[in-house]
Amino acid sequence: MHTIVCIKQIIDPEIPADQFKLDASTKRQVRGGLSLVISAYDQNALEVALQLREKVGGKVTALCLGESGAMGAIKTALGMAVDEGVLVSDPPLLESDPFGVVHILAKAIQKIGVPDLVLTGCVSGDTGDKVMGPLIAEELGLPCVTFVSKVEVKDGKALVRRIVEDGYELVEAAFPLVVSIISDDSNVPRYSKLKDIMVAAKKQVPTWKTADLGLDGERVGAGAARLQMRDVSIPERDSKCEILDGETPEERAERLALRLRELKVI
Amino acid sequence: MDFELTEEQRLFQETAQQVAEKEITPIAERVDESGQFPRETIAQLGELGFMGVAVPQEYGGAGADTVCYVLALEEISRACASHGVIMSVNNSLYCEPVLRFGMEEQKRRFLAPVASGKSMGCFCLSEPGAGSDAANQQTTARREGDWYVLNGTKNFITNGNEADYAIVFATVNKALKHKGICAFAVERGTPGFTVAHLEKKLGIRGSSCAQLTFDNCRVSAENLLGKEGEGFKIALATLDGGRIGIAAQAVGIARAALEASRDYSKQRIQFGKPIAANQAIQFMLADMATEIDAARLLTLNAALLKDRGLRHTKESSMAKLYASEVAMRASIKGVQIFGGYGYMMDYPAQRFMRDAKITEIYEGTSEVQRMVIASALLS
Amino acid sequence: MTDVLIVAGGQGNPPSQNTLELLGAARRLADATQGRVKAAVLESAPTPLTAGLFGYGADQVFRAEHPLLNGYQGDVYVAALSQIAAQAAPQVILLADDSCGKEVAPRLAHRLNAGLVTEVLAVEGDGPAVLFRRQMYGGRTIATLAAQRFPVVATVKPRTMTPASELAGRTGEEIAVALTLEASLVRTKVVQKVAEEVRGVKLENARVVVSGGRGLKGPEPFKQLEELAQILRGAVGASRAATDAGWVPASWQVGQTGKTVSPDLYIAVGISGATQHLAGMTGSKTIVAINTDPDAPIFKVAHLGIVGDYKAILPKLLEKCRDLTQG
Repeated sequence: MHTIVCIKQIIDPEIPADQFKLDASTKRQVRGGLSLVISAYDQNALEVALQLREKVGGKVTALCLGESGAMGAIKTALGMAVDEGVLVSDPPLLESDPFGVVHILAKAIQKIGVPDLVLTGCVSGDTGDKVMGPLIAEELGLPCVTFVSKVEVKDGKALVRRIVEDGYELVEAAFPLVVSIISDDSNVPRYSKLKDIMVAAKKQVPTWKTADLGLDGERVGAGAARLQMRDVSIPERDSKCEILDGETPEERAERLALRLRELKVI
Repeated sequence: MDFELTEEQRLFQETAQQVAEKEITPIAERVDESGQFPRETIAQLGELGFMGVAVPQEYGGAGADTVCYVLALEEISRACASHGVIMSVNNSLYCEPVLRFGMEEQKRRFLAPVASGKSMGCFCLSEPGAGSDAANQQTTARREGDWYVLNGTKNFITNGNEADYAIVFATVNKALKHKGICAFAVERGTPGFTVAHLEKKLGIRGSSCAQLTFDNCRVSAENLLGKEGEGFKIALATLDGGRIGIAAQAVGIARAALEASRDYSKQRIQFGKPIAANQAIQFMLADMATEIDAARLLTLNAALLKDRGLRHTKESSMAKLYASEVAMRASIKGVQIFGGYGYMMDYPAQRFMRDAKITEIYEGTSEVQRMVIASALLS
Repeated sequence: MTDVLIVAGGQGNPPSQNTLELLGAARRLADATQGRVKAAVLESAPTPLTAGLFGYGADQVFRAEHPLLNGYQGDVYVAALSQIAAQAAPQVILLADDSCGKEVAPRLAHRLNAGLVTEVLAVEGDGPAVLFRRQMYGGRTIATLAAQRFPVVATVKPRTMTPASELAGRTGEEIAVALTLEASLVRTKVVQKVAEEVRGVKLENARVVVSGGRGLKGPEPFKQLEELAQILRGAVGASRAATDAGWVPASWQVGQTGKTVSPDLYIAVGISGATQHLAGMTGSKTIVAINTDPDAPIFKVAHLGIVGDYKAILPKLLEKCRDLTQG
């Protein structure tokens, strides 16, 4: 079983509000000195892939499109004991919209060799897009299941648990398959073992550029974007929180109830 | 000096940060309050490789270097100094001497289980009458054929209550003074080896501090580390490395104090503005931050020298002396910045102060460090 | 002239809440440019849905009936909708941002070589341009995006659009679409469906939501939250930390990957306020935070707050709320 996990490196989304800044001209978040992380659900996807490898064998490859610094994300994945990593990094490519991104990823996946399973996180932690899994599936012409927390192999087929509004479904599909991963208690990302880090640090990771992938130039880069960002703003919040005082917790609880009554919300 | 981190050093630091933040920070207060040894998180650290960071992988360790070790130890100690000392003793005071002075067979037997985190080690040098004057060992080792019989009492032994293996120093002949001292690896359960008493401590309350007694405790000559009479040399060499670990622990505690103070000073409103708007507070924070950076640089310097196989006795002492005193100053300032809340057990400032104090005492008091540094200067 | 195609869900008349919201948004967008509202109906046998759609503002219904359309299956839906879109030729295609819409919309956009925007909070025409508003960066920002390519496929976040209201006697044109669908299209199969039991009010419809997070440290305290929710006639939610820990079912999750709620009252207990959670609840009218950490980000969005341990606070709050609501 070969699994390719597509990961994205993003600015840590859990920074305090006062550190979140937008660049007025690019309309993007200012990186500044903020730390970079692997988008949260992509980490769950790595965990799903590693658990699958432990059960049925095979290997796991982490694939990332990003700046040259995104090598750090690949190394982190290798530290979790992923077998191989591939970085696609070429500045003009980074301006691509999701359709451009999946074109690039699909070309990279084909160059690696289409695996049994392609995993993505179900949400991109910065833009909030939940489209990568289905788009990659279309680009590769593969079937797709989204918002999956668990992947098992049964009788040579995938049996996955898909989370829906009021519960879950068990979905069966043949490989090769694209699955987007949502978190649950079964796929909490593991910590890297220090001895795996030693291996990861030394592992060679290829960096591919436009010329390595045979990309369709019409589909990638800023010019190909199918949406234009007109405006982006940080909504004003009345950040005045009325903290209810009181000598004891009981007193504070009582004051809260009375205040809610005053405001006619209960 | 080049302190740009290598890829593995950066990843070590990142992993240590994650584990510290998600697993250790949430329980630090409870560990301190209960004084219970944090068995689960220590086991988890062991599984991940934190208990034998600089031990080669063939002996169960992570196979990293001392710089990785201090980066990780700083992060763990920042979350909880008790975890920090447990890790430090296991790595520096147990694994290190067995790795350096043990024969191949001894490394297989005594190092691999401890470096891999499955078992735990401790280091038994201090005695009721031999603290700073460590050469004054009263514990005796009497040779009987292929055996040594140990008799004596060891004091203030960190991890002493949990350790499966102990390095025990004892003299074959008091008249030889430090040249009569030997180092033995002793397994828990060896008849005559008893945990006699557990101390109640001011800080690092999650780690045990035990009095161990050896009453006609027979150990095989195969357990002797190095040669007969090399024990004191082993102890000193071990402490050179151990002090780097304590320095890293102290930097971690100081950072915890600084970060808590910084956050608190931004949200505590007095006279209609955050107290961080006052220069009196700002200057305290500035001093703390500056001293912490200096302490970290001294610590990394000592670690780097050790990794390069260079002599580092003086530099380790300098790092340990300075970092421990920085931790003390920073944590006292932290309590001051927190004001009345700083004195209350509900807030963490007091814990950092209690935890910091021991770093000025164990593995050589500040006074002993100054003696070591001065003697290196004057020799 | 902006023609809008909505993908209708459910089977009934009146149509489902999500469908009414799509119709409402589509009608407003189409009216601004003298465009038409079209609706796609996918079913395996006739239902009253089509008639309902006319009553709530559809001008044309593209009705596709096929045995393979018996329940949602991604491959079939995408193929069917591609064929309907080719025939209906809309500028904008709207789907509900539910588990089906989220999966279908990107795939459909890819097949149609269309534009794509998801989790839309507002849509408006600006001359020939169509503008969409959505959150980015976990709700820290609101972005306005203009479609550069048509058609554009958009998913609309439930409970954000004013639903269409009924115009009695309104009718429209029903167009039967002959689909070419092969059984071999089907590449995934639902072998089991497990619905989690919903006690009381549904989370996304509740006027009051009481949510718990990591600070509760286990599943037990959720019983108290349920009790409070019951007193206030609301529903219980949870942060991702609590659902990921397995304390409560995933369907209780409020946030970026869970449900988006905008009740009159949202009570967050032991929730620090990670951006992922805030993305799902900042639309609430009154937000109450109960947390031990005064620096927790939840207090930045809360209107009322108590700094303290929920264990000491909840019993009294329960008691007092019971008194006030029964008195």
